[in-house]
Amino acid sequence: MATTQSPLTLSSATFAKLSPHPYLLANLQPPDASTPSSRTNGRQPRQARQPNINTSSLSHAHGSAVVRTGDTTVICGVRGETLLTTDIPNYRAPDVVNPTKSDAVAEADELRDYDLLVPNIELATGCAPNFLPGVPPTTLAQTLSTRLYSLLHSSGLVDVEDLRIYHDRPEKQVPRHGDKMEEVDADEEEEDTAEVKAYWVLYIDVLFVSFDGNPFDAAWAAVLAALRDTKLPPAVWDPDHEMVLCSRKAPSSLNIRGMPVACTAAVFTAKEKQQRKGEQGQYWILVDPDRFEESLCDEALTVVVDRTLGETKVLGISKSGGTTVGPQLMWKYVTVAEERWQEFKSAL
Amino acid sequence: MTVTTEPEALLSYLQKADGSATFSYAGYTVIGAVNGPIEVQRRDELPEEAAVDVIVRPAAGVGGTRERHLESLIQSTLRQIILVNNFPRTLIQVVLQVTVAPENDYANAKVAQANLNLPILPALLQTAVLSLLSAALPLRATLASTALAILPEHGDRRIISSPTGRQIEQSQSFHVFAFTSHDELILAESEGSFSMKEWDDALAAAQGTCYPPTTTGDTDVLMDDDKLVGSDLKHFTRSTMEQKTASDLYWK
Repeated sequence: MATTQSPLTLSSATFAKLSPHPYLLANLQPPDASTPSSRTNGRQPRQARQPNINTSSLSHAHGSAVVRTGDTTVICGVRGETLLTTDIPNYRAPDVVNPTKSDAVAEADELRDYDLLVPNIELATGCAPNFLPGVPPTTLAQTLSTRLYSLLHSSGLVDVEDLRIYHDRPEKQVPRHGDKMEEVDADEEEEDTAEVKAYWVLYIDVLFVSFDGNPFDAAWAAVLAALRDTKLPPAVWDPDHEMVLCSRKAPSSLNIRGMPVACTAAVFTAKEKQQRKGEQGQYWILVDPDRFEESLCDEALTVVVDRTLGETKVLGISKSGGTTVGPQLMWKYVTVAEERWQEFKSAL
Repeated sequence: MTVTTEPEALLSYLQKADGSATFSYAGYTVIGAVNGPIEVQRRDELPEEAAVDVIVRPAAGVGGTRERHLESLIQSTLRQIILVNNFPRTLIQVVLQVTVAPENDYANAKVAQANLNLPILPALLQTAVLSLLSAALPLRATLASTALAILPEHGDRRIISSPTGRQIEQSQSFHVFAFTSHDELILAESEGSFSMKEWDDALAAAQGTCYPPTTTGDTDVLMDDDKLVGSDLKHFTRSTMEQKTASDLYWK
Protein backbone atom coordinates (compact mmCIF):
# COMPACT_ATOMS: atom_id res chain seq x y z
CA MET A 1 0.00 0.00 0.00
CA ALA A 2 2.16 2.81 1.29
CA THR A 3 5.67 2.82 -0.06
CA THR A 4 6.88 6.00 1.58
CA GLN A 5 6.71 6.16 5.33
CA SER A 6 5.17 9.53 5.97
CA PRO A 7 3.63 9.92 9.42
CA LEU A 8 0.14 10.19 7.95
CA THR A 9 0.12 6.94 5.93
CA LEU A 10 0.03 3.45 7.31
CA SER A 11 2.07 0.50 6.26
CA SER A 12 -0.06 -2.36 5.01
CA ALA A 13 0.80 -4.49 8.07
CA THR A 14 -0.53 -1.75 10.35
CA PHE A 15 -3.61 -1.33 8.17
CA ALA A 16 -4.26 -5.08 8.44
CA LYS A 17 -3.99 -4.99 12.22
CA LEU A 18 -6.07 -1.84 12.73
CA SER A 19 -8.97 -2.61 10.42
CA PRO A 20 -8.71 -6.13 9.05
CA HIS A 21 -12.03 -6.21 7.22
CA PRO A 22 -11.47 -3.13 5.03
CA TYR A 23 -7.91 -4.33 4.42
CA LEU A 24 -9.02 -7.65 2.92
CA LEU A 25 -11.79 -5.88 1.04
CA ALA A 26 -9.32 -3.39 -0.42
CA ASN A 27 -7.15 -6.26 -1.62
CA LEU A 28 -10.05 -8.11 -3.22
CA GLN A 29 -11.54 -4.95 -4.66
CA PRO A 30 -8.62 -2.65 -5.44
CA PRO A 31 -9.55 1.03 -5.79
CA ASP A 32 -7.70 1.44 -9.11
CA ALA A 33 -8.17 -1.04 -11.89
CA SER A 34 -4.44 -1.40 -12.57
CA THR A 35 -3.76 -3.50 -9.46
CA PRO A 36 -5.01 -7.05 -9.85
CA SER A 37 -7.53 -8.30 -7.33
CA SER A 38 -6.19 -10.94 -4.99
CA ARG A 39 -6.35 -12.07 -1.39
CA THR A 40 -3.99 -10.69 1.22
CA ASN A 41 -1.86 -13.81 0.91
CA GLY A 42 -1.46 -13.22 -2.82
CA ARG A 43 -3.71 -16.09 -3.87
CA GLN A 44 -6.75 -15.91 -6.09
CA PRO A 45 -10.11 -16.57 -4.37
CA ARG A 46 -10.36 -20.07 -5.85
CA GLN A 47 -6.69 -20.89 -5.37
CA ALA A 48 -5.82 -23.37 -2.63
CA ARG A 49 -2.45 -23.96 -1.06
CA GLN A 50 -0.46 -26.82 -2.52
CA PRO A 51 -0.40 -29.80 -0.13
CA ASN A 52 2.85 -31.51 0.79
CA ILE A 53 2.61 -34.95 2.32
CA ASN A 54 5.33 -37.01 3.94
CA THR A 55 4.56 -40.42 5.40
CA SER A 56 6.27 -42.77 7.88
CA SER A 57 8.09 -40.01 9.67
CA LEU A 58 7.38 -41.29 13.19
CA SER A 59 9.30 -44.44 14.03
CA HIS A 60 7.22 -45.65 16.97
CA ALA A 61 3.78 -45.28 15.43
CA HIS A 62 2.28 -47.95 13.20
CA GLY A 63 1.57 -45.31 10.63
CA SER A 64 2.17 -41.58 10.42
CA ALA A 65 2.01 -38.65 8.09
CA VAL A 66 2.96 -35.00 8.03
CA VAL A 67 0.77 -32.79 5.91
CA ARG A 68 1.68 -29.26 5.09
CA THR A 69 -0.49 -26.78 3.24
CA GLY A 70 1.10 -23.38 3.34
CA ASP A 71 1.75 -22.52 6.97
CA THR A 72 -0.64 -25.12 8.34
CA THR A 73 1.34 -28.18 9.33
CA VAL A 74 -0.27 -31.22 10.86
CA ILE A 75 1.31 -34.41 12.07
CA CYS A 76 -0.76 -37.53 12.54
CA GLY A 77 0.28 -40.78 14.17
CA VAL A 78 -1.71 -44.01 14.19
CA ARG A 79 -0.98 -46.52 16.89
CA GLY A 80 -2.72 -49.87 17.19
CA GLU A 81 -3.44 -51.50 20.51
CA THR A 82 -5.13 -54.82 21.06
CA LEU A 83 -8.46 -55.05 22.83
CA LEU A 84 -9.67 -58.45 24.03
CA THR A 85 -13.32 -59.17 23.35
CA THR A 86 -13.63 -60.39 26.95
CA ASP A 87 -12.87 -56.83 28.04
CA ILE A 88 -15.71 -55.33 25.98
CA PRO A 89 -18.94 -54.88 27.92
CA ASN A 90 -22.07 -56.09 26.06
CA TYR A 91 -19.96 -57.79 23.45
CA ARG A 92 -21.89 -59.53 20.71
CA ALA A 93 -19.86 -61.82 18.52
CA PRO A 94 -20.15 -60.81 14.87
CA ASP A 95 -21.53 -63.46 12.58
CA VAL A 96 -18.33 -64.02 10.65
CA VAL A 97 -19.48 -67.10 8.76
CA ASN A 98 -22.89 -66.00 7.49
CA PRO A 99 -23.24 -62.26 7.75
CA THR A 100 -26.98 -61.65 7.69
CA LYS A 101 -27.12 -57.90 7.84
CA SER A 102 -25.76 -55.94 4.94
CA ASP A 103 -22.00 -55.86 5.32
CA ALA A 104 -21.47 -52.14 5.50
CA VAL A 105 -24.03 -51.60 8.26
CA ALA A 106 -22.71 -54.45 10.41
CA GLU A 107 -19.13 -53.25 10.03
CA ALA A 108 -19.98 -49.70 10.91
CA ASP A 109 -21.75 -51.02 14.00
CA GLU A 110 -18.68 -52.93 15.08
CA LEU A 111 -16.34 -50.00 14.61
CA ARG A 112 -18.69 -47.68 16.43
CA ASP A 113 -19.90 -49.92 19.24
CA TYR A 114 -16.47 -50.98 20.37
CA ASP A 115 -14.83 -47.62 19.63
CA LEU A 116 -12.16 -49.15 17.45
CA LEU A 117 -11.16 -45.79 15.98
CA VAL A 118 -10.16 -43.11 18.46
CA PRO A 119 -9.26 -39.82 16.82
CA ASN A 120 -7.95 -36.96 18.91
CA ILE A 121 -6.84 -33.48 17.98
CA GLU A 122 -4.30 -31.46 19.87
CA LEU A 123 -4.26 -27.74 19.19
CA ALA A 124 -2.61 -26.56 22.39
CA THR A 125 0.90 -26.97 21.09
CA GLY A 126 1.72 -23.32 20.67
CA CYS A 127 0.84 -23.61 17.00
CA ALA A 128 -0.89 -20.22 16.87
CA PRO A 129 -1.05 -17.25 19.25
CA ASN A 130 -4.73 -17.81 20.06
CA PHE A 131 -4.18 -21.32 21.40
CA LEU A 132 -2.32 -21.28 24.66
CA PRO A 133 -0.19 -24.33 25.30
CA GLY A 134 -1.11 -26.60 28.19
CA VAL A 135 -4.79 -25.71 28.51
CA PRO A 136 -7.82 -28.03 28.23
CA PRO A 137 -9.01 -28.68 24.66
CA THR A 138 -10.66 -25.65 23.14
CA THR A 139 -14.07 -25.70 21.49
CA LEU A 140 -12.37 -25.77 18.10
CA ALA A 141 -10.31 -28.82 19.03
CA GLN A 142 -13.37 -30.64 20.29
CA THR A 143 -15.42 -29.68 17.24
CA LEU A 144 -12.67 -30.87 14.93
CA SER A 145 -12.27 -34.21 16.64
CA THR A 146 -16.04 -34.78 16.53
CA ARG A 147 -16.06 -34.00 12.82
CA LEU A 148 -13.11 -36.30 12.19
CA TYR A 149 -14.80 -39.03 14.17
CA SER A 150 -18.05 -38.80 12.23
CA LEU A 151 -16.32 -38.60 8.88
CA LEU A 152 -14.13 -41.62 9.72
CA HIS A 153 -17.24 -43.64 10.42
CA SER A 154 -19.59 -42.29 7.78
CA SER A 155 -17.03 -42.66 4.99
CA GLY A 156 -16.37 -46.30 5.91
CA LEU A 157 -12.66 -45.75 5.35
CA VAL A 158 -11.41 -48.58 7.52
CA ASP A 159 -12.39 -52.18 6.94
CA VAL A 160 -13.23 -53.82 10.26
CA GLU A 161 -11.91 -57.11 8.87
CA ASP A 162 -8.37 -55.69 9.14
CA LEU A 163 -8.87 -54.98 12.81
CA ARG A 164 -10.24 -58.38 13.83
CA ILE A 165 -7.86 -60.81 15.47
CA TYR A 166 -9.06 -64.37 14.99
CA HIS A 167 -8.52 -67.58 16.80
CA ASP A 168 -7.93 -70.82 14.91
CA ARG A 169 -7.18 -69.35 11.60
CA PRO A 170 -3.89 -70.43 10.12
CA GLU A 171 -3.33 -67.46 7.86
CA LYS A 172 -4.96 -64.13 7.66
CA GLN A 173 -6.50 -63.34 4.32
CA VAL A 174 -5.68 -59.72 3.85
CA PRO A 175 -8.04 -58.39 1.20
CA ARG A 176 -11.64 -59.44 1.30
CA HIS A 177 -13.41 -58.28 -1.82
CA GLY A 178 -16.84 -59.16 -3.02
CA ASP A 179 -15.76 -61.68 -5.61
CA LYS A 180 -13.47 -63.56 -3.25
CA MET A 181 -15.98 -63.80 -0.48
CA GLU A 182 -17.40 -67.20 -1.43
CA GLU A 183 -13.98 -68.81 -1.22
CA VAL A 184 -13.20 -67.26 2.12
CA ASP A 185 -16.52 -68.27 3.58
CA ALA A 186 -16.10 -71.81 2.29
CA ASP A 187 -12.68 -72.05 3.93
CA GLU A 188 -14.04 -70.90 7.20
CA GLU A 189 -16.78 -73.46 7.20
CA GLU A 190 -14.35 -76.25 6.60
CA GLU A 191 -12.03 -75.39 9.44
CA ASP A 192 -14.70 -75.23 12.10
CA THR A 193 -15.50 -71.67 13.16
CA ALA A 194 -13.08 -68.82 13.28
CA GLU A 195 -13.77 -66.77 16.35
CA VAL A 196 -12.95 -63.12 16.90
CA LYS A 197 -10.87 -63.01 20.05
CA ALA A 198 -9.57 -59.49 19.99
CA TYR A 199 -9.57 -56.28 18.00
CA TRP A 200 -7.02 -53.72 17.04
CA VAL A 201 -7.97 -50.31 18.35
CA LEU A 202 -6.47 -47.51 16.29
CA TYR A 203 -5.51 -44.44 18.25
CA ILE A 204 -5.32 -41.63 15.72
CA ASP A 205 -3.58 -38.63 17.20
CA VAL A 206 -3.46 -35.40 15.26
CA LEU A 207 -1.07 -32.69 16.36
CA PHE A 208 -0.98 -29.21 14.91
CA VAL A 209 2.61 -28.10 14.51
CA SER A 210 1.63 -24.75 13.08
CA PHE A 211 -1.82 -23.39 12.47
CA ASP A 212 -2.68 -21.00 9.68
CA GLY A 213 -6.33 -21.62 8.98
CA ASN A 214 -8.27 -24.46 7.43
CA PRO A 215 -7.59 -27.01 10.16
CA PHE A 216 -10.12 -29.61 9.05
CA ASP A 217 -8.79 -30.21 5.53
CA ALA A 218 -5.24 -30.59 6.75
CA ALA A 219 -6.20 -32.80 9.68
CA TRP A 220 -8.33 -35.05 7.51
CA ALA A 221 -5.60 -35.35 4.87
CA ALA A 222 -3.15 -36.27 7.63
CA VAL A 223 -5.50 -38.92 9.02
CA LEU A 224 -6.06 -40.36 5.55
CA ALA A 225 -2.35 -40.42 4.70
CA ALA A 226 -1.45 -41.93 8.07
CA LEU A 227 -4.09 -44.66 7.77
CA ARG A 228 -2.87 -45.51 4.27
CA ASP A 229 0.61 -45.76 5.72
CA THR A 230 -0.43 -47.90 8.70
CA LYS A 231 1.01 -51.39 8.86
CA LEU A 232 -0.19 -53.64 11.65
CA PRO A 233 1.89 -56.64 12.71
CA PRO A 234 0.25 -60.03 12.19
CA ALA A 235 -1.48 -60.98 15.43
CA VAL A 236 -2.78 -64.35 16.56
CA TRP A 237 -4.65 -65.45 19.60
CA ASP A 238 -2.61 -67.86 21.66
CA PRO A 239 -5.01 -70.13 23.58
CA ASP A 240 -2.28 -71.44 25.90
CA HIS A 241 -1.23 -68.04 27.17
CA GLU A 242 -4.73 -66.61 26.63
CA MET A 243 -3.32 -63.53 25.06
CA VAL A 244 -2.67 -61.97 21.68
CA LEU A 245 0.74 -62.57 20.22
CA CYS A 246 2.19 -60.35 17.53
CA SER A 247 5.12 -61.11 15.34
CA ARG A 248 7.55 -58.63 13.96
CA LYS A 249 7.79 -59.99 10.46
CA ALA A 250 5.64 -59.04 7.50
CA PRO A 251 3.32 -56.38 8.86
CA SER A 252 0.29 -55.94 6.65
CA SER A 253 -1.15 -52.62 5.63
CA LEU A 254 -4.78 -51.68 6.12
CA ASN A 255 -7.29 -51.95 3.34
CA ILE A 256 -8.42 -48.34 3.01
CA ARG A 257 -11.57 -47.81 0.98
CA GLY A 258 -11.45 -44.86 -1.34
CA MET A 259 -9.74 -41.54 -0.89
CA PRO A 260 -12.07 -38.85 0.45
CA VAL A 261 -10.67 -35.35 0.37
CA ALA A 262 -12.12 -32.43 2.31
CA CYS A 263 -12.24 -28.98 0.76
CA THR A 264 -13.14 -25.99 2.90
CA ALA A 265 -13.94 -22.44 1.88
CA ALA A 266 -14.96 -19.33 3.75
CA VAL A 267 -17.38 -16.74 2.48
CA PHE A 268 -16.22 -13.15 2.74
CA THR A 269 -18.92 -10.51 2.43
CA ALA A 270 -18.25 -6.93 1.45
CA LYS A 271 -20.44 -5.61 4.23
CA GLU A 272 -19.06 -6.08 7.68
CA LYS A 273 -22.36 -5.83 9.50
CA GLN A 274 -25.43 -7.98 9.12
CA GLN A 275 -27.40 -7.60 5.98
CA ARG A 276 -31.01 -6.62 5.88
CA LYS A 277 -33.70 -8.75 4.37
CA GLY A 278 -33.32 -9.49 0.71
CA GLU A 279 -30.09 -7.53 0.49
CA GLN A 280 -27.39 -9.53 -1.23
CA GLY A 281 -24.10 -7.69 -1.18
CA GLN A 282 -20.92 -8.61 -2.93
CA TYR A 283 -19.17 -11.70 -1.68
CA TRP A 284 -16.10 -13.81 -2.40
CA ILE A 285 -15.65 -17.50 -1.83
CA LEU A 286 -12.17 -17.97 -0.46
CA VAL A 287 -11.02 -21.54 -0.91
CA ASP A 288 -8.59 -22.84 1.72
CA PRO A 289 -8.72 -19.75 3.96
CA ASP A 290 -5.82 -18.81 6.20
CA ARG A 291 -6.12 -17.71 9.81
CA PHE A 292 -6.53 -14.03 8.97
CA GLU A 293 -9.32 -14.72 6.49
CA GLU A 294 -11.06 -17.19 8.80
CA SER A 295 -11.28 -14.54 11.50
CA LEU A 296 -13.17 -12.25 9.09
CA CYS A 297 -15.61 -14.73 7.63
CA ASP A 298 -18.80 -15.94 9.27
CA GLU A 299 -19.88 -18.51 6.78
CA ALA A 300 -17.85 -21.60 6.07
CA LEU A 301 -18.52 -24.62 3.93
CA THR A 302 -16.78 -27.96 3.67
CA VAL A 303 -17.39 -30.57 1.02
CA VAL A 304 -15.84 -34.03 1.17
CA VAL A 305 -15.56 -35.73 -2.19
CA ASP A 306 -14.15 -38.99 -3.46
CA ARG A 307 -13.46 -39.66 -7.11
CA THR A 308 -11.60 -42.96 -6.87
CA LEU A 309 -14.39 -44.72 -8.75
CA GLY A 310 -14.35 -42.19 -11.57
CA GLU A 311 -17.55 -40.35 -10.84
CA THR A 312 -17.74 -37.91 -7.97
CA LYS A 313 -19.13 -39.25 -4.75
CA VAL A 314 -19.95 -36.71 -2.08
CA LEU A 315 -19.27 -38.00 1.42
CA GLY A 316 -20.16 -34.97 3.42
CA ILE A 317 -21.38 -31.41 3.16
CA SER A 318 -21.18 -29.00 6.02
CA LYS A 319 -22.22 -25.41 5.73
CA SER A 320 -23.13 -23.04 8.49
CA GLY A 321 -23.00 -19.46 9.63
CA GLY A 322 -24.61 -17.62 6.76
CA THR A 323 -27.08 -17.55 3.94
CA THR A 324 -24.87 -16.68 0.97
CA VAL A 325 -24.29 -20.21 -0.24
CA GLY A 326 -27.43 -21.63 -1.80
CA PRO A 327 -27.95 -24.78 -3.85
CA GLN A 328 -26.52 -23.30 -7.08
CA LEU A 329 -23.31 -22.20 -5.40
CA MET A 330 -23.02 -25.58 -3.76
CA TRP A 331 -23.13 -27.27 -7.16
CA LYS A 332 -20.43 -24.96 -8.43
CA TYR A 333 -18.35 -25.50 -5.35
CA VAL A 334 -18.31 -29.27 -5.84
CA THR A 335 -16.27 -28.74 -9.02
CA VAL A 336 -13.75 -26.77 -6.96
CA ALA A 337 -13.63 -29.68 -4.52
CA GLU A 338 -13.04 -32.04 -7.43
CA GLU A 339 -9.98 -30.03 -8.45
CA ARG A 340 -8.78 -30.11 -4.88
CA TRP A 341 -9.20 -33.87 -4.87
CA GLN A 342 -6.89 -34.10 -7.87
CA GLU A 343 -4.26 -31.99 -6.06
CA PHE A 344 -4.33 -34.25 -3.03
CA LYS A 345 -4.28 -37.38 -5.15
CA SER A 346 -1.05 -36.31 -6.80
CA ALA A 347 0.41 -35.35 -3.41
CA LEU A 348 -0.40 -38.66 -1.75
CA MET B 1 -40.39 -45.69 21.93
CA THR B 2 -43.08 -43.55 20.41
CA VAL B 3 -42.32 -41.03 17.77
CA THR B 4 -44.56 -38.00 17.93
CA THR B 5 -45.45 -37.12 14.42
CA GLU B 6 -46.76 -33.67 15.23
CA PRO B 7 -44.54 -31.04 16.77
CA GLU B 8 -45.57 -29.73 20.16
CA ALA B 9 -44.37 -26.63 21.94
CA LEU B 10 -44.92 -24.83 25.19
CA LEU B 11 -43.75 -21.25 25.54
CA SER B 12 -42.59 -19.00 28.40
CA TYR B 13 -43.15 -21.30 31.31
CA LEU B 14 -39.81 -20.95 33.08
CA GLN B 15 -40.36 -18.07 35.51
CA LYS B 16 -36.83 -16.78 35.91
CA ALA B 17 -35.56 -16.89 32.34
CA ASP B 18 -36.26 -14.07 29.89
CA GLY B 19 -37.65 -16.54 27.43
CA SER B 20 -38.20 -20.26 27.41
CA ALA B 21 -39.75 -22.99 25.33
CA THR B 22 -40.17 -26.73 25.28
CA PHE B 23 -40.31 -28.36 21.94
CA SER B 24 -40.94 -31.98 21.10
CA TYR B 25 -40.78 -33.48 17.68
CA ALA B 26 -39.68 -36.79 16.19
CA GLY B 27 -38.99 -38.35 19.55
CA TYR B 28 -36.89 -35.52 20.91
CA THR B 29 -37.90 -33.14 23.66
CA VAL B 30 -35.74 -30.13 24.37
CA ILE B 31 -36.14 -27.36 26.94
CA GLY B 32 -34.68 -24.04 25.91
CA ALA B 33 -34.05 -20.95 28.01
CA VAL B 34 -32.82 -17.60 26.77
CA ASN B 35 -31.40 -14.79 28.84
CA GLY B 36 -30.41 -11.61 27.16
CA PRO B 37 -29.25 -9.06 26.58
CA ILE B 38 -27.32 -9.40 29.81
CA GLU B 39 -23.95 -8.30 31.06
CA VAL B 40 -21.03 -10.03 29.45
CA GLN B 41 -17.71 -11.11 30.87
CA ARG B 42 -14.90 -8.79 29.83
CA ARG B 43 -13.15 -11.67 28.09
CA ASP B 44 -16.10 -12.42 25.77
CA GLU B 45 -17.21 -8.84 25.18
CA LEU B 46 -17.51 -7.73 21.57
CA PRO B 47 -17.36 -3.98 20.95
CA GLU B 48 -19.86 -3.83 18.10
CA GLU B 49 -22.25 -6.68 18.66
CA ALA B 50 -23.78 -8.99 21.21
CA ALA B 51 -21.96 -12.18 22.04
CA VAL B 52 -24.15 -15.25 21.57
CA ASP B 53 -23.46 -18.11 23.91
CA VAL B 54 -25.07 -21.51 23.37
CA ILE B 55 -24.96 -24.30 25.91
CA VAL B 56 -26.24 -27.75 25.00
CA ARG B 57 -26.85 -30.26 27.76
CA PRO B 58 -27.46 -33.89 26.81
CA ALA B 59 -30.27 -36.08 28.14
CA ALA B 60 -27.82 -38.19 30.14
CA GLY B 61 -24.36 -37.45 31.43
CA VAL B 62 -22.42 -34.27 30.95
CA GLY B 63 -21.66 -32.58 27.67
CA GLY B 64 -18.72 -33.83 25.67
CA THR B 65 -17.11 -33.17 22.34
CA ARG B 66 -20.33 -33.85 20.47
CA GLU B 67 -22.13 -31.13 22.41
CA ARG B 68 -19.30 -28.69 21.66
CA HIS B 69 -19.75 -29.41 17.97
CA LEU B 70 -23.51 -28.85 18.18
CA GLU B 71 -22.99 -25.67 20.17
CA SER B 72 -20.65 -24.19 17.61
CA LEU B 73 -23.06 -25.03 14.78
CA ILE B 74 -26.04 -23.53 16.62
CA GLN B 75 -24.05 -20.51 17.74
CA SER B 76 -22.94 -19.57 14.24
CA THR B 77 -26.51 -20.04 12.97
CA LEU B 78 -28.24 -18.05 15.70
CA ARG B 79 -25.72 -15.25 15.40
CA GLN B 80 -26.96 -14.76 11.87
CA ILE B 81 -30.64 -14.43 12.74
CA ILE B 82 -30.43 -12.40 15.96
CA LEU B 83 -29.89 -8.70 15.34
CA VAL B 84 -26.66 -8.75 17.29
CA ASN B 85 -25.64 -5.28 16.15
CA ASN B 86 -28.51 -3.84 18.15
CA PHE B 87 -26.93 -4.92 21.44
CA PRO B 88 -23.24 -4.14 21.44
CA ARG B 89 -21.21 -5.29 24.44
CA THR B 90 -23.88 -7.61 25.81
CA LEU B 91 -24.46 -11.31 26.00
CA ILE B 92 -27.35 -13.41 24.77
CA GLN B 93 -27.28 -16.78 26.41
CA VAL B 94 -29.16 -19.77 25.05
CA VAL B 95 -29.31 -22.92 27.15
CA LEU B 96 -30.72 -26.05 25.57
CA GLN B 97 -31.40 -29.04 27.77
CA VAL B 98 -32.33 -32.27 26.04
CA THR B 99 -34.83 -34.16 28.17
CA VAL B 100 -35.97 -36.96 25.89
CA ALA B 101 -33.97 -38.52 23.11
CA PRO B 102 -35.26 -41.56 21.21
CA GLU B 103 -33.56 -44.80 22.03
CA ASN B 104 -32.42 -47.11 19.33
CA ASP B 105 -33.45 -50.58 20.43
CA TYR B 106 -31.19 -52.23 17.92
CA ALA B 107 -27.93 -50.63 18.96
CA ASN B 108 -25.93 -51.12 22.12
CA ALA B 109 -26.98 -48.32 24.41
CA LYS B 110 -24.07 -46.16 25.41
CA VAL B 111 -24.39 -43.11 27.57
CA ALA B 112 -21.61 -41.19 25.90
CA GLN B 113 -22.58 -41.49 22.28
CA ALA B 114 -20.11 -39.53 20.28
CA ASN B 115 -21.66 -40.63 17.02
CA LEU B 116 -25.09 -39.60 15.81
CA ASN B 117 -24.69 -35.97 16.69
CA LEU B 118 -26.66 -34.58 13.78
CA PRO B 119 -30.17 -36.07 14.25
CA ILE B 120 -30.80 -33.93 17.29
CA LEU B 121 -29.80 -30.70 15.56
CA PRO B 122 -33.26 -29.77 14.12
CA ALA B 123 -34.93 -30.11 17.52
CA LEU B 124 -32.25 -27.96 19.15
CA LEU B 125 -32.48 -25.25 16.50
CA GLN B 126 -36.25 -25.19 16.61
CA THR B 127 -36.25 -24.91 20.40
CA ALA B 128 -33.67 -22.15 20.29
CA VAL B 129 -35.80 -20.11 17.87
CA LEU B 130 -38.96 -20.54 19.94
CA SER B 131 -37.07 -19.52 23.08
CA LEU B 132 -35.66 -16.46 21.34
CA LEU B 133 -39.15 -15.51 20.19
CA SER B 134 -40.42 -16.02 23.71
CA ALA B 135 -37.65 -13.76 25.02
CA ALA B 136 -38.85 -11.13 22.52
CA LEU B 137 -35.37 -10.63 21.11
CA PRO B 138 -35.35 -8.85 17.76
CA LEU B 139 -34.63 -11.35 15.01
CA ARG B 140 -33.80 -10.88 11.36
CA ALA B 141 -35.72 -14.02 10.51
CA THR B 142 -36.97 -17.15 12.16
CA LEU B 143 -35.80 -20.51 10.98
CA ALA B 144 -37.06 -24.01 10.49
CA SER B 145 -34.96 -27.09 10.38
CA THR B 146 -35.49 -30.70 9.43
CA ALA B 147 -33.63 -33.97 9.13
CA LEU B 148 -33.84 -36.42 6.25
CA ALA B 149 -32.43 -39.80 5.46
CA ILE B 150 -32.04 -41.41 2.06
CA LEU B 151 -32.73 -45.12 2.29
CA PRO B 152 -31.94 -47.67 -0.38
CA GLU B 153 -35.08 -49.54 -1.39
CA HIS B 154 -35.31 -52.23 -4.06
CA GLY B 155 -32.55 -50.65 -6.07
CA ASP B 156 -34.22 -47.29 -5.78
CA ARG B 157 -33.99 -44.55 -3.14
CA ARG B 158 -36.54 -43.26 -0.72
CA ILE B 159 -36.31 -39.99 1.18
CA ILE B 160 -37.62 -40.17 4.72
CA SER B 161 -38.19 -37.04 6.70
CA SER B 162 -37.49 -37.09 10.47
CA PRO B 163 -36.11 -40.64 10.39
CA THR B 164 -35.86 -42.89 13.42
CA GLY B 165 -32.52 -44.06 14.77
CA ARG B 166 -32.91 -47.37 13.03
CA GLN B 167 -33.61 -45.73 9.70
CA ILE B 168 -30.57 -43.49 10.07
CA GLU B 169 -28.45 -46.55 10.70
CA GLN B 170 -29.67 -48.21 7.51
CA SER B 171 -29.58 -45.07 5.44
CA GLN B 172 -27.07 -44.29 2.73
CA SER B 173 -26.89 -40.67 3.67
CA PHE B 174 -28.30 -38.39 6.31
CA HIS B 175 -29.01 -34.69 5.90
CA VAL B 176 -29.96 -31.79 8.13
CA PHE B 177 -31.12 -28.53 6.59
CA ALA B 178 -32.20 -25.25 8.13
CA PHE B 179 -33.90 -22.43 6.27
CA THR B 180 -34.62 -18.89 7.35
CA SER B 181 -38.11 -17.52 6.96
CA HIS B 182 -36.86 -15.68 3.85
CA ASP B 183 -36.34 -19.15 2.37
CA GLU B 184 -32.55 -19.00 2.43
CA LEU B 185 -30.46 -22.04 3.21
CA ILE B 186 -28.64 -21.19 6.44
CA LEU B 187 -27.36 -24.57 7.54
CA ALA B 188 -26.67 -27.78 5.67
CA GLU B 189 -25.02 -30.81 7.21
CA SER B 190 -24.85 -34.05 5.32
CA GLU B 191 -23.02 -37.29 5.87
CA GLY B 192 -22.94 -40.67 4.27
CA SER B 193 -22.42 -41.27 0.59
CA PHE B 194 -24.52 -39.47 -1.97
CA SER B 195 -24.47 -37.63 -5.27
CA MET B 196 -25.28 -33.97 -5.76
CA LYS B 197 -28.52 -34.99 -7.47
CA GLU B 198 -29.61 -36.80 -4.32
CA TRP B 199 -28.58 -33.81 -2.25
CA ASP B 200 -30.79 -31.61 -4.38
CA ASP B 201 -33.72 -33.98 -3.97
CA ALA B 202 -33.21 -34.02 -0.21
CA LEU B 203 -32.99 -30.24 -0.19
CA ALA B 204 -36.26 -29.94 -2.08
CA ALA B 205 -37.94 -32.39 0.29
CA ALA B 206 -36.61 -30.44 3.29
CA GLN B 207 -37.88 -27.22 1.81
CA GLY B 208 -41.31 -28.80 1.50
CA THR B 209 -41.29 -29.74 5.17
CA CYS B 210 -40.05 -26.39 6.41
CA TYR B 211 -41.55 -23.89 4.00
CA PRO B 212 -43.85 -25.28 1.37
CA PRO B 213 -44.32 -22.81 -1.46
CA THR B 214 -47.51 -20.93 -0.65
CA THR B 215 -49.59 -19.18 -3.23
CA THR B 216 -51.09 -16.78 -0.73
CA GLY B 217 -47.79 -15.50 0.62
CA ASP B 218 -46.80 -15.44 4.26
CA THR B 219 -48.84 -12.37 5.15
CA ASP B 220 -51.91 -14.55 5.19
CA VAL B 221 -52.37 -14.78 8.93
CA LEU B 222 -55.86 -16.19 8.96
CA MET B 223 -54.95 -19.50 7.44
CA ASP B 224 -56.34 -22.64 8.93
CA ASP B 225 -53.44 -23.40 11.23
CA ASP B 226 -54.69 -26.73 12.52
CA LYS B 227 -54.64 -28.19 9.09
CA LEU B 228 -51.05 -27.23 8.50
CA VAL B 229 -49.54 -28.13 11.84
CA GLY B 230 -47.24 -31.10 11.53
CA SER B 231 -46.60 -30.74 7.87
CA ASP B 232 -45.14 -27.27 7.90
CA LEU B 233 -42.75 -26.00 10.53
CA LYS B 234 -43.00 -22.37 9.54
CA HIS B 235 -46.70 -22.29 10.26
CA PHE B 236 -46.15 -24.29 13.38
CA THR B 237 -43.82 -21.60 14.78
CA ARG B 238 -46.24 -18.94 13.70
CA SER B 239 -49.36 -20.53 15.15
CA THR B 240 -47.59 -21.35 18.42
CA MET B 241 -46.64 -17.71 18.81
CA GLU B 242 -50.14 -16.56 17.86
CA GLN B 243 -51.77 -18.84 20.40
CA LYS B 244 -49.41 -17.68 23.11
CA THR B 245 -50.00 -14.02 22.31
CA ALA B 246 -53.75 -14.54 22.19
CA SER B 247 -53.82 -16.23 25.58
CA ASP B 248 -51.51 -13.60 27.12
CA LEU B 249 -53.74 -10.76 25.92
CA TYR B 250 -56.96 -12.50 26.90
CA TRP B 251 -57.59 -10.12 29.84
CA LYS B 252 -57.81 -7.19 27.48
